[in-house]
Amino acid sequence: MKTRLTTRLLKSAYIAFVYLFLYAPIFVLIAYSFNDSTYSLVWQQFTWKWYEMLLENAELHLVAYHSLILGVLSASFATLFGTMVAISLYRYPFRGKRLVYALLFILMVSPDIVTGISFLILFSTLKMPLGFWTLLLSHIAFCIPFVTVTVYSRLLGQDKNIFEAAKDLGATEGLIVRKILVPLLWPAIAAGWLLSFTLSLDDVLVSFFVNGPGFDILPLKIFSMVRVGVKPEINALCSVMFILTILIVIAYQLVTWKKEKCT
Amino acid sequence: MHEYQMGKGLSFQRSAIALTWIWLSVFALVPSFLVFITSLLTPGDSELVRLQLTVDNYLRLFQPTYLRVFLRSWTLATISTMVCLGIAYPFSYAIAQMRSTRVKNLLMLLVIVPFWTSSLIRSYAIVAMIKARGIVNGFLLWAGLIDQPLQLMYTDMATLIGLVYTLLPLMILPLYVSIDKLDKRLIDAARDLGANKTQIFFKVLLPLTLPGILSGSILVFLPAMTIFYIPDLLGGAKTVLLGNIIQNQFLAARDWPMGATISVALTLVISICLFLYSRKFKNQQEFL
Amino acid sequence: MHLIKCLNKWRLRIAGLLLCLFCHLSPVSAADREMLNVYTWSDFLPDAVIKQFEQETGIKINHSTYMSNEVLYAKLKTNMGEGYDVIMPSAYFVNRMVSQDLLQKIDIKKLKHVKYLNPEFLNKEHDPRNEYSLPFLWSSTGLVINTKYHDKKEVTAWGNLWDKKYKNDLLLIDDVREIFSMALLVLGDSVNDTNPQNIKAAFEKLKLLIPNIKLFNTDTVRSIYIDEDITIGMGWSGDIYTARRENPDLAFIYPEEGFVISLDCLAIPKKSKNVVNAHKFIDFLSRPEIGKQIAMETGFATTNLKAVDLLPEAMRQSPILYPDKETMKRGYLLLDVGDAAPLYEHYFERLKLGD
Repeated sequence: MKTRLTTRLLKSAYIAFVYLFLYAPIFVLIAYSFNDSTYSLVWQQFTWKWYEMLLENAELHLVAYHSLILGVLSASFATLFGTMVAISLYRYPFRGKRLVYALLFILMVSPDIVTGISFLILFSTLKMPLGFWTLLLSHIAFCIPFVTVTVYSRLLGQDKNIFEAAKDLGATEGLIVRKILVPLLWPAIAAGWLLSFTLSLDDVLVSFFVNGPGFDILPLKIFSMVRVGVKPEINALCSVMFILTILIVIAYQLVTWKKEKCT
Repeated sequence: MHEYQMGKGLSFQRSAIALTWIWLSVFALVPSFLVFITSLLTPGDSELVRLQLTVDNYLRLFQPTYLRVFLRSWTLATISTMVCLGIAYPFSYAIAQMRSTRVKNLLMLLVIVPFWTSSLIRSYAIVAMIKARGIVNGFLLWAGLIDQPLQLMYTDMATLIGLVYTLLPLMILPLYVSIDKLDKRLIDAARDLGANKTQIFFKVLLPLTLPGILSGSILVFLPAMTIFYIPDLLGGAKTVLLGNIIQNQFLAARDWPMGATISVALTLVISICLFLYSRKFKNQQEFL
Repeated sequence: MHLIKCLNKWRLRIAGLLLCLFCHLSPVSAADREMLNVYTWSDFLPDAVIKQFEQETGIKINHSTYMSNEVLYAKLKTNMGEGYDVIMPSAYFVNRMVSQDLLQKIDIKKLKHVKYLNPEFLNKEHDPRNEYSLPFLWSSTGLVINTKYHDKKEVTAWGNLWDKKYKNDLLLIDDVREIFSMALLVLGDSVNDTNPQNIKAAFEKLKLLIPNIKLFNTDTVRSIYIDEDITIGMGWSGDIYTARRENPDLAFIYPEEGFVISLDCLAIPKKSKNVVNAHKFIDFLSRPEIGKQIAMETGFATTNLKAVDLLPEAMRQSPILYPDKETMKRGYLLLDVGDAAPLYEHYFERLKLGD
């Protein structure tokens, strides 16, 4: 009994420790959004002024909003396509599978700057004007391999007999995908979406090269502000976004918990 | 209705394959081809590249300077990956063992949420924490544990901390996905057969979660090799890593062919490693 | 039934996504107002200035930023300069861009306020008749020390940095030209030297400095000096001027051997279609009140003489921002070194690799 308790305590302590590690810089950045200093990273004194500046800075709001929309759209499409690619690789025989593997791999291995520049060349050859669309396409492109890897990793080790049984019972491919694969793979698909959303929100280099005037996104804005010494205004923005996200997560949990209780 | 279903099925397969091909051709094949061709050209003065084929760039790679940078990046990336793995595996395992799916999903979501904040800002937060007059030193000095502030900044250790911190969720997620789908009964069966904890770990857990370990490691190792702002910000830009060199080639040195060459070489080296690895595990169906 | 319900659910989701997409075509299609695409360094254009221009003229400004000349150059070359109407390259890049036909001529007649520009910065080698660029802001690179830890009298020349007592103490700006200029000046050569022998000598000199270097940095110089992570090194005059507001112990010293002057200019890319508005904007920036506003917010020195007159006394008289004529004689403008550039880069890379 005692060892079980200690192992449980140890486990909980370890999990808590990892979360502390993950969240410590977030708390630091929130704390510094109240710091009354422009360039210094040492605590001076408390102030609300950065939040005041943030409220008035409509441009920054727009930039954050752009990033979110871009993130949601690229994550969604990348997850859709990436899952289809993973399923194709796993289930359907077709020629050139090795090439597909290789291409996905290359997309993942290439340093951001190389991907960014090669896409830039691609788009200028196709005479596409740089802006929102090139940005979206590029983000979807570099997120797909991550989704595929995650989904495929879960596909491996699935019991193939299930599909055989389904086919025997007269199910078509579409049905198998919708009713069997997707539910089975759901955690991996969700993980892939979250991963893509994260990658898209934070991408700097690829976005930098394929973006055009007129559609500014947050990581680019932050990256270019680095020269100024990132003003705590950005900290204030990130803090606000973080709090909002946590609130949404809590709200979502409460809603689904209520639903569970009712059913 | 039956014919409708049949039609839908085949078309799904066809459209999935077609989509795969079209997308990858445009966004992976063509750009990779462009990069490869660029690596064979010579840098131009007024144009970015001159259309003159040469293998000079590849020959330049074998200079000791580049090899040294490559080795340094490789070592740092490997250490980061192993540290991430060490931290993430027990974590993912502990969470996967929980019974409530809802709680598990929530916990996983909470792992990602910090990463929706710009990694650059979080890197600055890390700087604020480990600076000479930063939070960590402030605390240690106040607690009387040290007399002089620890010089954590501008060292390889700082770069390592930054890398591990930034890339940890990329290891946690695939590991969790892989551990979660494990059939717990296998472990129970092993225990019933008399295996102790070490044996269960090495003979049951490890092999079965290998796909997750592999995906996580790839997802961490690759960016660790090529990221540049973390060594710049936390390492003091004194240690030149592969990411810095490539960045430099494309921008400051305006030597696009060389930048492309390093990238192609990196891809080749990693592919060879993975190929050798998959040959070793020929029986198991691995991803590459 | 179930199948149809499933299909509908997916259709709904896809429709929702597409709707989001179309909502986002609106920024692209809102081209009723006239637009101007301005591409500058991040801290050079305060929002208030942009808003004022927009209110006065009704032209909407899309302000994008870059963090290095090389990035601007790469973007222009691959994108063929399309999309951007006003850019802010450094002088030595203007050189290169002109020779590669990336800029178009500026029509001085359209600019009313150009007469206030400091003649010291006009008709320089990078653009002899200022046909393609107009000087806008400038700064100098010099020695920075924290007077709490170092004596002003001891540190007066670049050569002092090589003293063994500064082991692992220095901050150097992470730019190949700045670092090599320092060595070239110590050796008595020109900052724009193209002679391979001299460049090699500078490299050898710099190798001796390596044990003293603690870090290279360009972006967060201010916060590093303010927080006293580093107490001696290189820095830009504008950065240190603003840094002193948070840490008055910092001092900026113009070295004896000479120093580099960085000049940032306004220019119009060749393929810009918005030429009339571009000129309007450049003229707007050349107004003394605007020049003063920008100088005050960014801390950089303005090339507009009338704007300097409008500055508060403390700023106008600041020896850091506006040194006297004697000191300015030791200042050298950075120019394009043409074919020698790869050689500089090569040595810089070797320097950083600790070769």
